[in-house]
Amino acid sequence: MSELTTGSAAAGSASEYEPKIVGFLCNWCAYTAADLAGIARIKYPDNIRIVRVMCTGRVEPTFVLKALSAGADAVLVAGCHPGGCHYQEGNYKAYKRTLLLQSMLPQFGIEKERFRLEFVASSEGEKFARVVGDMVAKIKELGPLSGAGTRLAALDGFFAADARMEGGVNLG
Amino acid sequence: MAEEIRTGVYVCHCGTNIADKVDVEAVGKFAGTLPGVVVSRDYKYMCSDPGQDLIKKDIKELGLNRVVVASCSPRMHEPTFRRALAAAGLNGYLFEMANIREQVSWVSSNPLQATVKAKSLVSGAVRKVKYNRPLEERYVPVNPNVLIVGGGVAGLEAALKIAGSGNQVYLVEREASLGGKMAKFDKTFPTLDCAACILTPKMVEAGQHEKIKLLTYSEVVQVDGFVGNFQVKVRKKARYVDVNKCTGCGDCEAVCPVNTVDKFNEGLSQRKAVFKEFPQAVPNVYQITKTGTPPCRLTCPAGVNVQGYLALTRQGKFSEALALIREAMPLPAVCGRVCFHPCEGECRRGDIDAPVAINAVKRFLADYEAKNGSAQPASAPASGRKVAIVGAGPAGLAAGYYLSRAGHEVVILEGKAEAGGLLRYGIPEYRLPKEILRREIDQIARSGVNIRTNQWLGRDFTLEKLRREYDAVFLALGTSKEQTLGIPGEDLQGVLSSLKFLESANTRAESVRGRVLVIGGGNAAVDAARTALRLGAQSVEIVYRRTRDAMPAFAEEIREAEKEGVKFRFLTAPLRVVGRGGRVQALECQPRQLGEVDAGGRRKSIPATGPNVLLEAELIIAAVGQKVELPASLVGRVALAAKGTVQVDEYGKTTSDGVFAGGDLVSGPSSMVSAIAAGKEAAGIIDAFVRGEALPGPAPKPRPLPKAASVTEFYKAARHEPAQLEPEKRRGLSAEVTVTLSEEEVLDEAKRCLDCGVCSECQECVKVCQAGAIDHRMQDEEVELEVGNIILATGYEILDPSVGVQWGYGRFPNVLTGLQFERLTNASGPTAGRIVREDGREPEAVAILHCIGSRDKNYKEYCSRVCCMASLKFAHLVKDKTKAKVYEFYIDMRAYGKQYEEFYNRVQDEGVNFIRGKGAEVLEKDGRLVIRAEDTLLGVFREVPVDMVILNTALIPRADADAVARLFTIQRSADGFFLESHPKLEPMKTATDGIYLAGTCQGPKDIPDTVAQAAGAAAEALEKISAGRVRVSPITAYCLEELCSGCKTCIPLCPYNAITFSEEKKVALYNEALCKGCGTCVASCPSGAAHMRNFEEEQMLEIIEGVCAL
Repeated sequence: MSELTTGSAAAGSASEYEPKIVGFLCNWCAYTAADLAGIARIKYPDNIRIVRVMCTGRVEPTFVLKALSAGADAVLVAGCHPGGCHYQEGNYKAYKRTLLLQSMLPQFGIEKERFRLEFVASSEGEKFARVVGDMVAKIKELGPLSGAGTRLAALDGFFAADARMEGGVNLG
Repeated sequence: MAEEIRTGVYVCHCGTNIADKVDVEAVGKFAGTLPGVVVSRDYKYMCSDPGQDLIKKDIKELGLNRVVVASCSPRMHEPTFRRALAAAGLNGYLFEMANIREQVSWVSSNPLQATVKAKSLVSGAVRKVKYNRPLEERYVPVNPNVLIVGGGVAGLEAALKIAGSGNQVYLVEREASLGGKMAKFDKTFPTLDCAACILTPKMVEAGQHEKIKLLTYSEVVQVDGFVGNFQVKVRKKARYVDVNKCTGCGDCEAVCPVNTVDKFNEGLSQRKAVFKEFPQAVPNVYQITKTGTPPCRLTCPAGVNVQGYLALTRQGKFSEALALIREAMPLPAVCGRVCFHPCEGECRRGDIDAPVAINAVKRFLADYEAKNGSAQPASAPASGRKVAIVGAGPAGLAAGYYLSRAGHEVVILEGKAEAGGLLRYGIPEYRLPKEILRREIDQIARSGVNIRTNQWLGRDFTLEKLRREYDAVFLALGTSKEQTLGIPGEDLQGVLSSLKFLESANTRAESVRGRVLVIGGGNAAVDAARTALRLGAQSVEIVYRRTRDAMPAFAEEIREAEKEGVKFRFLTAPLRVVGRGGRVQALECQPRQLGEVDAGGRRKSIPATGPNVLLEAELIIAAVGQKVELPASLVGRVALAAKGTVQVDEYGKTTSDGVFAGGDLVSGPSSMVSAIAAGKEAAGIIDAFVRGEALPGPAPKPRPLPKAASVTEFYKAARHEPAQLEPEKRRGLSAEVTVTLSEEEVLDEAKRCLDCGVCSECQECVKVCQAGAIDHRMQDEEVELEVGNIILATGYEILDPSVGVQWGYGRFPNVLTGLQFERLTNASGPTAGRIVREDGREPEAVAILHCIGSRDKNYKEYCSRVCCMASLKFAHLVKDKTKAKVYEFYIDMRAYGKQYEEFYNRVQDEGVNFIRGKGAEVLEKDGRLVIRAEDTLLGVFREVPVDMVILNTALIPRADADAVARLFTIQRSADGFFLESHPKLEPMKTATDGIYLAGTCQGPKDIPDTVAQAAGAAAEALEKISAGRVRVSPITAYCLEELCSGCKTCIPLCPYNAITFSEEKKVALYNEALCKGCGTCVASCPSGAAHMRNFEEEQMLEIIEGVCAL
């Protein structure tokens, strides 16, 4: 099976495009929900690559841009429901950053549907599976994100530590 | 990075759990190709001892310094593998897990894609782990105190276990007593022991245990901190009864005049406003229900306790009712006649039919006293202080009355021949008989006030003299000067102010001849018009520049004036008075119309087109208001405010030391009751002033009733409207027009009060309580607790079956919930345990319906677990206590516990009819209730007539479960109950360390399971306490100070106040002991100074690249 090394070639029918989605999931709600979906054996598409963070508040815009430039077709950030954050309000911070990113991405030719924030409680395994399924379907409609790396390269300097030291942006 | 990275990768088969979907061998081989990987293996069970040994052996033999395991969720076995690393001498944080079971094999339907996904996760983990650094575990001490929330059987069990181990417990219960739902039950299945008999010993023990601090009628409002060290704020709600003084004797309950729905009896009966939930309550003390200050009292300028005196009145306690009025207002007979009673406008009863005739009741009480004699309220001991009051109008009289009762020597100096002010000289006799006024003033004089008339300020005494001889002076001179019309001819003979006209009518009663015009729309205008008519006027017409609706006079006064023959001319304003030979001949008027709304909220009267009219008259009375006239001797001694009234500060002090002022003199013209309120308020301040105490600030704001306080049951009777004398009998000035209600009418009228504030604060309980335990002014208070562990035992609610109209609940009497039946059959319940219908008859047939709202996709999908057995218990009790036939309508019978099946058999043997089929509908037919159901065993449709229906409703999460979950930062499962950490292995834990679950707050369960879980939760807490310290995650944020720009962005983001600013170094200081590791500060640091252990930026970027690689 060593020939099966890329997502796009791995589908049952070789012709079908299989997008790659990176999901940043908070440890307490969304990640637990993803585990719960597994425990309940709820099937959903294999296109998501889950990265665990303690809280969605940890997710820097850089991570999202990094994922898009490293080959992901879309990014999901999923955390606790408003008011349900294990750290009281980290999810609100994530939400605020999301709004900024969503207004910024189209300026780089990236459809805003390729970045999504969802609130998924730890008991909502089924919702998590639904979100992934829904997102995969949407991205399949949009098609692959090509050339994002080049377009986002312009941002490298913007987010690099050196630039930020000069007093740069406040994404709090 | 100087060290050479040597990573070992281990891919777990998890039996077939992973290997069925993921080609584990391929994943292992793939891992071997990744940079830094020196060994990769796949193995059947990595978590087993041999699996762990593989890792340990490789660390030792191959010199591994990083490990990746691809297996289940890190939430399962991360600690296991970290320990394995540590056992081999490697720091446990040089380790990563790839979750290829819960998040790959179990959710995939495509082995090829699942394998790719697994590889990508391994790739991410391998890249990240290169940058993992050794981290040291941290430990914090555990505070041995435990907070338990909920005092039902679960909370009690946990509390007694922990207290029994010698550790301190704080037991917070929302209701007044411990006991929870179980205290409502009659018997318990399957053993049929009496619930109270087995529960109350636990309640008593908890109440008396030296290591258990009870906080009943209290709620947790804030939780801070973390495992081992929580800070909790608890609000102790005001019970209005001192728990330490109350003996539980019940004397208060016996005298309380207010009934309200008994929630403990599930609404089946009524209880008093002061109550104890049930006989065995712990603590064994009373408490008082108050929903807020009723609107009648809230809107009364003098704050008269209307609900209180109505409650006493309906019990026939007339003198007590009157005494209660006098606490707020010393002129009840006057007020009962001339007050504008805004209370009736706000009365909640008005939303149903008509407001309670509050004023008429007050008038009756005062008149009743006049006939039957009165008791003088006790005054405070003599203070030795002296107060002089200038002016014996309502403000001066009220101030005098309350100052005298406070123990001071009071003199009121009145310029006129009689006391009463405008009450005496401005209100005509037919509305307020002089005799009634005199009697009220005499009563005030009897309280110790020395009223001296014919004493003019400036003529008979001076302010200086009063200041010398008295400790304080109160000026209550009112508004004694009339406003003028400001039109030509106003000084002609035959033009009078209403003030002068009414005063002369009230003193000399000279007759009036000819035609009379009255200008104005207030009560003074109507009073003048009706008086003129009584004094013999040929005709009387009121000229008003606005419309009838805009008249400030009381509607009933206008109505009566019209009946008596007074004419009205609206939208007409006087222009000039026409006279001849110095005498009035006519009034020239201009037509008007209504324009824009003015500052006072009324529409302005503006000139309209049309010819002026000339109205002939022999007498014109101008009733256009009054103003302050400062006596000459006060000019320059007290300053005036811009509007011409006397200037005072927030305490009513004038600019002259020791001289206070109030009433209309300060406010300008207002109402009698407002003047009384001002006098009473001044008395309170002057009392403190002459005693040399701090002056009281504004009274605490009363808590209004919630708007939506729904009233379902009330006394149905129409309002008793006081009768009016027939117009033809109203000749002469003295015949009082409005008739006082009779005793019977008043007793009935007082019952119409809805008691919307519940407790009426009538003070009867205070009088009878020998322990002095009742304090109606008690306030909520907050206590702060420090605890190391928290157990939530907050219980459940039952589904309100009225959501399903088919079950008839709330539509038909005798359709009960299970809890209502528990109360009905309970010896301490509303019928002392007799199973009877609402009409008192014993039922001939009873239906018990299972699964009401449970196992039903329209309501709750889950099984509520206890209902089958509870239903069997109900059936047994009905059989035991009555001769009724019993029908059980069930879907499946679930008798899974110890002795449950045996109990089922026993109840079957007792002759209960079991019908397998859900009760689909409850109907009423021919005076009986009918259950419609499909009998699925016989395959027939049945209609069964019965006399009582018991709905065994679903157990549901408490209505505020969401708020409670947020308060304690725990989660809820899909059914809404609190979520346990693991459904099998950690049913007592939550995702938040140090917070545990006990009982039905976690899901429906019966008493044995609840008690078992409670003991388990106690064991969880005791484990932490015994260990004495608790491990906290080393995953925290820190700051590279040399990079910090001091922008302070991170500081407000931290919910734990772990970040402070060093003014000296101009950088942020991170306190890692307080940090919980969310990383929000790190993500928002614009300088790259904030970092987070194990989630460093480089680690995150590596894992992202890794998972995106394929």
